[in-house]
Amino acid sequence: MHDERDETDETIERIAAALRPLPEVAPSRKALVLVAVAADRARARGAGESGPRAWRLAVAGTAAAAVVAAAALWLGGRRSPAAADRSVPAVALDSGSSLARAGGARLAGRAGDALAPQVVELVFRAPEAHRVSVVGDFNGWNAGADAMTRDSASGLWSGTITVRPGRHVYAFVIDDSVWARDPRTPEAADADFGRPGSVLLVGHP
Amino acid sequence: MSSTGPLRLVKPDREPTPDDAPAAAERTQLVRAAQRGDVPAFAALVDAYYARCLRFALHMLGSRADAEDAVQDTFVRVHRALPSYVEREAFEPWLFRILANRCRTAGLRERRRAAVLEFGEVPEHASDPRPDEAVAWREEIARALATLPAEQREAFLMRHVEDLSYEDMATATGAGISALKMRVKRACESLRRRLQEGDDARRA
Repeated sequence: MHDERDETDETIERIAAALRPLPEVAPSRKALVLVAVAADRARARGAGESGPRAWRLAVAGTAAAAVVAAAALWLGGRRSPAAADRSVPAVALDSGSSLARAGGARLAGRAGDALAPQVVELVFRAPEAHRVSVVGDFNGWNAGADAMTRDSASGLWSGTITVRPGRHVYAFVIDDSVWARDPRTPEAADADFGRPGSVLLVGHP
Repeated sequence: MSSTGPLRLVKPDREPTPDDAPAAAERTQLVRAAQRGDVPAFAALVDAYYARCLRFALHMLGSRADAEDAVQDTFVRVHRALPSYVEREAFEPWLFRILANRCRTAGLRERRRAAVLEFGEVPEHASDPRPDEAVAWREEIARALATLPAEQREAFLMRHVEDLSYEDMATATGAGISALKMRVKRACESLRRRLQEGDDARRA
């Protein structure tokens, strides 16, 4: 309610009256909100519990290397526990990045955790960007959900997402305005919203 | 949840009133329950506020899809932030602060407002004897609204459509009351001028 008077007139009142009717809302939209909230809670819980068994994928090499890495992760869920503890061949990384120094992709999940949410680390080179975030089917294509962190020395942006094993489509949003798929992973033929996306395969579906 | 009683839900076929939102005591109960992790209580808050949030987001962003994304993201963030919500802060301005932030982010991301405007979802007044003129009027208003700087559009909507007090607007936007009054004043002046220009153009 108005606690102080504004200078209003008939025109402003007519404008306000035209803007006040509430839009109709399909019940499914409200249900989707609750689904998104539940997914967010699950992600938060998954992130909190997944540290010791996090799967780490640094996607910054060539397309071919990324395909190998994706395939390795996909097959990783089928490995024996002993095999799954070993590091997979590293994806080629841009030199100078902390991730490159850290050794690239590393698989630390166990076969027994094949259905549990897994943490995946993504890397994207955008030295001129001020903000980069990951969007994908796992976060409702929400550019505010998974912000990445910039490594000032290399210009690489990195961030982790927590996803269930299976196939995911993702992209990057640069400076809240530019949509870009990851050039180093396979392009998704069925990208959401008609925008380009890349494919991420994680573990055993 | 059973102790909270039935919610008064906003009806889409009429203009909202301050009574459309849950009454203060009822809202307090819902928020407290939601803070404790009561999912039905949170669902009741979504039920009660979704339409209002969507109206604001639609007018801010001009796109139904963007507005629904912003509203969904708003409620996800509300749920995430509920544990840190303190009751000395009114719930609605707190909710609108998150919503306005999401709209600002979405507006920066899309930058297509001037080109894409959707009006089909705005319900018409059943009693309006000239529906075509009413639709044209709303479209003209939406175009005029779209030309306002985002801060002025936000302030105008909060004040004249959402009926927030300047104090609540200050909570929701982080801006001072004097600055908000100036934004509203300038928004009104711009809207009047643009709609007058439209009238003049039609008469010419």
